[in-house]
Amino acid sequence: MTRSDTTSRPAESNRSLYPGALVPLLAFGSTLAGIALFNAGVQFEIQYAALGGFLASCLLAYLAWTRLHKDIVALSTPIYGFIFFVTPVDYTGGVALQLLYASGLTLLTARLYYRFGTGTPSRSLGTELETGPLQAYVESTRHVFAALDPVTGHRAAAAFLRFSEGEYRRAADLARAAACPDGTPGPVVRAFDILRQHAELLDNNRSRPVTFLMFLPDDSPLMAKPLPGSKDPDREFETQIDNALLLLYSAAWHASKTDQPLLHASQAFAMKLLTP
Amino acid sequence: MKIGTIDVKISLISLGVFVVFTILLIVASFISPSVRSNLLWLIPCLFMLLVIPLVLNYMSRRQYADLIPEYEQQAKTVRVKMINENMIGKIVRINGVVERVHFQFLNRPSYSVADRSGEISVKMFTSPDEDVKVNDIVEVLGQVIRRYIVTGEPVINCVSIRKNSAQPSTDD
Repeated sequence: MTRSDTTSRPAESNRSLYPGALVPLLAFGSTLAGIALFNAGVQFEIQYAALGGFLASCLLAYLAWTRLHKDIVALSTPIYGFIFFVTPVDYTGGVALQLLYASGLTLLTARLYYRFGTGTPSRSLGTELETGPLQAYVESTRHVFAALDPVTGHRAAAAFLRFSEGEYRRAADLARAAACPDGTPGPVVRAFDILRQHAELLDNNRSRPVTFLMFLPDDSPLMAKPLPGSKDPDREFETQIDNALLLLYSAAWHASKTDQPLLHASQAFAMKLLTP
Repeated sequence: MKIGTIDVKISLISLGVFVVFTILLIVASFISPSVRSNLLWLIPCLFMLLVIPLVLNYMSRRQYADLIPEYEQQAKTVRVKMINENMIGKIVRINGVVERVHFQFLNRPSYSVADRSGEISVKMFTSPDEDVKVNDIVEVLGQVIRRYIVTGEPVINCVSIRKNSAQPSTDD
């Protein structure tokens, strides 16, 4: 990450909160303006004061849509906003309903930001990972993989993506073809080998063999997850493939810019691999 | 109740609806002579409230039973952690422990199944062969789908959920 990227992040994060703040502003503002106009003697149906609530719900739905994980509750709010806008209602009932709806939208907006994050993944156009452990790991390995040749980077991306799609036979074939030691760093070759072995086992529905391929102790600075030790072979076996996939993800991210949008779309899977 | 090889089950909701309308019909036939004169077609209609859910359950269970051999052949045994959005449409088999069970009374059970790598929601659109409870060790066979068809996190559309107490073997 460049210095300018780092410094601009808090400002970007603050800017991403503005549309969220607009939701309660529109919802409450419209109803309060309706009350003010009504009390000033302007005769109109109070249902139309729900226009702000409807627009606020559309904005909330848009914000929910731009998240990596979709919030179905927030996405469905315009339906109710539209019903409140077109349904005739008496003054007191209408005002109470609209204020309750505005409160609901405010809570849903807070929930959206709290549970689904402030970021809009589409803004980065697939060239920037979400801030978190995955981005930290990928950045920590930049010095090793930045000089990797783009062909190997593309092979790493292809093998990672096929594996994530459950295309294990294809992933094994790609990894076998890519695990060529000529000029490729040793950890990357080992990662391809480990991926191939796991993909073959998965493709044949076979469980952990007694002996399996592993990274070398010298590779530990590049490992995303610490090895649990040989006392728990199942856990060790699983950690090897998690590390291999994450290493190939990072290698592909740095070496193959053309694959970044696809890798970006698969970052949820990579993040999942990082969990203990 | 068994029809052929299919064990057909009726949901509590359907039974409840049948009981409520039976009581209503009995009360109405005591109060109103016009209802009594229509009992000839009202009673068959009442039984349709049982027959239709039974037939639907039989059809869905038969279809699921037909799918199981095909799924058995295609499924890849994976860890829960490996299931992700890129695997939508893939047929998988997972082994894990049932942590939660919902909506069994609707004959549309939804399970939360966990292995040591993570937890996933397993949805079934018909009643399972076995009565699966919390803490049962199960083998799930199904297709990876999105929770809300076009959006939401990956879940498993379950075709078969079986209790399995066997430990996984280790290959040489």
